[in-house]
Amino acid sequence: MFSLKPPKPTFRSYLLPPPQTDDKINSEPKIKKLEPVLLPGEIVVNEVNFVRKCIATDTSQYDLWGKLICSNFKISFITDDPMPLQKFHYRNLLLGEHDVPLTCIEQIVTVNDHKRKQKVLGPNQKLKFNPTELIIYCKDFRIVRFRFDESGPESAKKVCLAIAHYSQPTDLQLLFAFEYVGKKYHNSANKINGIPSGDGGGGGGGGNGAGGGSSQKTPLFETYSDWDREIKRTGASGWRVCSINEGYMISTCLPEYIVVPSSLADQDLKIFSHSFVGRRMPLWCWSHSNGSALVRMALIKDVLQQRKIDQRICNAITKSHPQRSDVYKSDLDKTLPNIQEVQAAFVKLKQLCVNEPFEETEEKWLSSLENTRWLEYVRAFLKHSAELVYMLESKHLSVVLQEEEGRDLSCCVASLVQVMLDPYFRTITGFQSLIQKEWVMAGYQFLDRCNHLKRSEKESPLFLLFLDATWQLLEQYPAAFEFSETYLAVLYDSTRISLFGTFLFNSPHQRVKQSTKSYSSTLRGMPSALKNGIISDQELLPRRNSLILKPKPDPAQQTDSQNSDTEQYFREWFSKPANLHGVILPRVSGTHIKLWKLCYFRWVPEAQISLGGSITAFHKLSLLADEVDVLSRMLRQQRSGPLEACYGELGQSRMYFNASGPHHTDTSGTPEFLSSSFPFSPVGNLCRRSILGTPLSKFLSGAKIWLSTETLANED
Amino acid sequence: MRNLRFALKQEGHSRRDMFEILTRYAFPLAHSLPLFAFLNEEKFNVDGWTVYNPVEEYRRQGLPNHHWRITFINKCYELCDTYPALLVVPYRASDDDLRRVATFRSRNRIPVLSWIHPENKTVIVRCSQPLVGMSGKRNKDDEKYLDVIRETNKQISKLTIYDARPSVNAVANKATGGGYESDDAYHNAELFFLDIHNIHVMRESLKKVKDIVYPNVEESHWLSSLESTHWLEHIKLVLTGAIQVADKVSSGKSSVLVHCSDGWDRTAQLTSLAMLMLDSFYRSIEGFEILVQKEWISFGHKFASRIGHGDKNHTDADRSPIFLQFIDCVWQMSKQFPTAFEFNEQFLIIILDHLYSCRFGTFLFNCESARERQKVTERTVSLWSLINSNKEKFKNPFYTKEINRVLYPVASMRHLELWVNYYIRWNPRIKQQQPNPVEQRYMELLALRDEYIKRLEELQLANSAKLSDPPTSPSSPSQMMPHVQTHF
Repeated sequence: MFSLKPPKPTFRSYLLPPPQTDDKINSEPKIKKLEPVLLPGEIVVNEVNFVRKCIATDTSQYDLWGKLICSNFKISFITDDPMPLQKFHYRNLLLGEHDVPLTCIEQIVTVNDHKRKQKVLGPNQKLKFNPTELIIYCKDFRIVRFRFDESGPESAKKVCLAIAHYSQPTDLQLLFAFEYVGKKYHNSANKINGIPSGDGGGGGGGGNGAGGGSSQKTPLFETYSDWDREIKRTGASGWRVCSINEGYMISTCLPEYIVVPSSLADQDLKIFSHSFVGRRMPLWCWSHSNGSALVRMALIKDVLQQRKIDQRICNAITKSHPQRSDVYKSDLDKTLPNIQEVQAAFVKLKQLCVNEPFEETEEKWLSSLENTRWLEYVRAFLKHSAELVYMLESKHLSVVLQEEEGRDLSCCVASLVQVMLDPYFRTITGFQSLIQKEWVMAGYQFLDRCNHLKRSEKESPLFLLFLDATWQLLEQYPAAFEFSETYLAVLYDSTRISLFGTFLFNSPHQRVKQSTKSYSSTLRGMPSALKNGIISDQELLPRRNSLILKPKPDPAQQTDSQNSDTEQYFREWFSKPANLHGVILPRVSGTHIKLWKLCYFRWVPEAQISLGGSITAFHKLSLLADEVDVLSRMLRQQRSGPLEACYGELGQSRMYFNASGPHHTDTSGTPEFLSSSFPFSPVGNLCRRSILGTPLSKFLSGAKIWLSTETLANED
Repeated sequence: MRNLRFALKQEGHSRRDMFEILTRYAFPLAHSLPLFAFLNEEKFNVDGWTVYNPVEEYRRQGLPNHHWRITFINKCYELCDTYPALLVVPYRASDDDLRRVATFRSRNRIPVLSWIHPENKTVIVRCSQPLVGMSGKRNKDDEKYLDVIRETNKQISKLTIYDARPSVNAVANKATGGGYESDDAYHNAELFFLDIHNIHVMRESLKKVKDIVYPNVEESHWLSSLESTHWLEHIKLVLTGAIQVADKVSSGKSSVLVHCSDGWDRTAQLTSLAMLMLDSFYRSIEGFEILVQKEWISFGHKFASRIGHGDKNHTDADRSPIFLQFIDCVWQMSKQFPTAFEFNEQFLIIILDHLYSCRFGTFLFNCESARERQKVTERTVSLWSLINSNKEKFKNPFYTKEINRVLYPVASMRHLELWVNYYIRWNPRIKQQQPNPVEQRYMELLALRDEYIKRLEELQLANSAKLSDPPTSPSSPSQMMPHVQTHF
């Protein structure tokens, strides 16, 4: 397959396009097609022609010729050249193959080979040389390289400066999400992945995870009723929705509606709130069917009041427990790595996975991976969450998560505990509502932690760590989740596309405040797709996991060994076959915590198993599931009388692959586009500089880029 | 990998007896007792000894042809006592040539054909090291013989030689009379060393693996402990070597000669793995049995010495987990290509279990001549009898039969994993979910599909019986059904 060399047109072929014989519909000259695909509100800022996109590190024979544009949303490379070494049938709906959203850019390096100069471009900087090469380091581990050998030097420089400027906005308002005003989501608001959803709000709050998941509307926890429904869903009898934060009168980093113990009066809460860091009163997250509640709470900064308030709150939580059980407090700051440590681990992981020469890291791969500490931290979060599951489930204790501000580690732990305990959160709708509840509404600082404005020292990939930990559970219990690992990877990617408001802000209040500036309506009046990017049709692919079993209506709690110790609890639990509709606990030994290869290796060409990977088995499973689906439909129609065109419905198949799709006419073999990176492709997405280059390019290909930008920036 | 400890409650008399009986029966050879395989009277409805018939297997490969012939020169194991009776050699080499070449190859293990590419007719040839020695001896017959092999392939002017050893080891072997093919003696050959270490290194490496997984799994620094065993690194080198062989034959269109020192350990690993990558037939259950039977058992991998069946001398330096390492490599491949193999993990595990069990005759003795002397096929049962009479249990539901697809696994530490389900299976805490939930779901869906199809057919029958008018509409069930089936 690698010996197949595609015909490589030179840049001149755009001036004199070869006559097309087979293409009758597109009879216009090719040059007309080199237009970017723009979203509503998107405008082209600058562009340069005759740019070469580098595809392989060691050869230029696969390079593509085209136009590089910078818009207020993305960098786009438009080419007519066919993509080499790749036969993909799937496409991202928002972004082209060569597009990089501006918010996904980590670092911009311009190079002039002849003058042996390079510079990391910051916003509003000058560039004293004409770049011959542009290297974009992306936050999602990609490295994209463009060469300007044949392009106009001035326009190349302008585009580089434009990219530097627009990718590093000084103000939140300059992010593209505020320009993105189209009809698109108005039409698709009630459609998820092209499938019309059933009834929007009503059915969502029903039974314990009953139903298919994605056809329900994700509760956003912005309204009183969403919280109320969650109370009823979990059967939390001693808890009530409290409205004292309406209009964010108490705290700007809490949702407007919070759930509190019924025994605490609004007036008391108002008084207590002053003592908490950020006025963050205790927040109810979830209740176990045995009545134990999961609560998150910030520190009480008022030393004098500390004991008294703490006592009052704990008593109230105890009172809300049907068995009046005690409260178990978990101090997350003391037990888990802090956000700086998580960030440091992530930087090392990224370094190891994509930036360092593949072969050189092979020999010490395992110990290098260990030294990043990333897996150790994933394990620590899982382990601690599992211990809290034991407290809630077996000891019947309510658990209070304590953290200074209560808006970082708590988000991760609270979510993981719920994913383990409640099968509803393993459906797509449930998982999304969990992210709304424990991250977006609970004030996780997406803006700072994702570093959208590229000036924050507070960057930390805690959300990714949560997705990674969820992936570990998915890997261990593949049939317990409605979604697949691709869904998690796409979710991670969507934190770096500034289209939707979901992952853009530091707090719910900021979201409302910022939104009213650019929209005449309030946030609540906004189209749902904007509020909740994760469920809109961002991608062509339905990301369903065909493994899911129909959730049972009553996840009965059989285990009732209240007095066993932790060790015994885990031992007993693992000795029994897991009930996928009940609690799932992670195995956390070194052999079980693995690297999430799809997420971290998807751009690494050397690590790609072509025609292989677990996706090939998944592909077969999907085909079969689809087939069974068609058969059961036929069966139903047979019973209900005359046959109608049951094939017309095939398009609605919710599986990843259709048994009768146009690309699967021959299902006997593994489709060529499948690889361990599917549905992503490393082709052209990880173009490290050749190791065999000049001293300069060696320097650029090396480890230094991502770590010490200062030394680079000073040389120009 | 486990140690068993028994405590006897009764004090006094019985302990010593028990111990003696245990040692006697655990190490029967040291006590002049027969191995259990010779006492085993199990009956199966399939005879595993008929699985491998060399003539049939070579015929499947399209042999003999006008470049290669089948010879019975070794019928009485006179040419080479560790080779099989039947060999495939170049048509242009006479039996006398073979005898002269044998004098220049360690233990007379001359280059013979293992596999031929169905389309480009390049071959994989295996042998032992040439007896070059310190003085750098040459042998015109050996040089000519390799040239004859080269000439069977017209596409490339060179023969590629893969010496499995690290080059230093190959040089060191000269001191004991061995060596490798030098450039000046073999003009038309290109030699590459594959850096795979010897049996002693592998044995020590596996010992270290045992130390980190038994009795307790190393927790705090799992990955670096695993790295320090070097086990996966060795797996990587073996796989990398096999990939190079396969790639050379398939894309490089060059014939390949593989050897190590004696050509029964690393050589068997490389040829069999390369054949597994190249030839989809070997990825079926029977094909794999044939592969093991051919490249390992018939070509004299010294199972008796490497495993030490019934022998009490557990520190024997001849012991080494070479075959286990091969199976591990196969497992790594099956992880990377979940749909490419007809067999499942259980199949590989049961092979390994009976590698040690002595319940079957399959892995007994060092070579074909010894097996023939002991009448193994008459006096013992074959492992393949057990497996083939119970095939469903060992089938991979995701298997997709594909002809002519070459599998190139990624031999990178990023993808290689410790085979937890085998090495750590005795640890209750590590136990993985059995059966694999994805597999389980697939089986459920298969059953569901069959049920639906059955019910659909029944309904259609009932409907068409009810309908008095003839089925003319396009919605006729009888017309729909075959249409449905074409989709899948």
